[in-house]
Amino acid sequence: MTIQRDPEGNELKQLRQMVEISGRRVLEIGSGDGRLTWKYAGLAREVVALELERDDLLIARVECPVALRRQVVFIRGDSIHLPFRGAAFDVALLSWSL
Amino acid sequence: MVHALGEIHRTLSPSGVLIDLRPLANGAPVEIVSARETLTAGRFEQTPQDIRLDEAADAAIAEAGSVERFSHEREARFPFNYYFDSPSELEDWAREDWGEDAATLSEEARARMRAAWAVADGDARLRLSMPMFIARWRRLPA
Repeated sequence: MTIQRDPEGNELKQLRQMVEISGRRVLEIGSGDGRLTWKYAGLAREVVALELERDDLLIARVECPVALRRQVVFIRGDSIHLPFRGAAFDVALLSWSL
Repeated sequence: MVHALGEIHRTLSPSGVLIDLRPLANGAPVEIVSARETLTAGRFEQTPQDIRLDEAADAAIAEAGSVERFSHEREARFPFNYYFDSPSELEDWAREDWGEDAATLSEEARARMRAAWAVADGDARLRLSMPMFIARWRRLPA
């Protein structure tokens, strides 16, 4: 058996209790290899996933489920200079990144 | 980080929400879990660096609140569980994922874990419960 991460789904449960994702535009900062992104992105209107680490970003792009490819955009960068217009998102998620 | 929170404020809609989701440095317990029982085997020791990082994160977000960019609405704590097939798998993962200088098991805790694992039920797995923090902040008008 391989290492299992949060098989109980506590992270997604807590996230959904904390914020309405459905139909929202989400900016995820520190999206890593997309592990959390895949869990909620299907609910969102769109997700912009920001990650500084090139290797993680590559994994996320390669492993992005086909069904989510129109909804999720991966961008390399950090949160100091966000390359987006004002008021572009409804939810900002600091994902293990503060 | 305060500058980053300013950028996040700018890119959020007027009624936007900021979610802060992160692991805490509190010593994560290691348990041996089977259908029959759950035994506590040890606890990862926090490092001073882990504690400083936690404090820095708390300070950054508190400062964002104090300069009236965001208003704290609610928060919660919960476990993020990892399951392993053996003590060596757990220790290898911790070294690779957290690095050599990150939280570690003491020699005493390692010995206790391995002794308990040696007599554990056949269906047992090791569970590392990472303490997690999640908070919701409402964007305030500029």
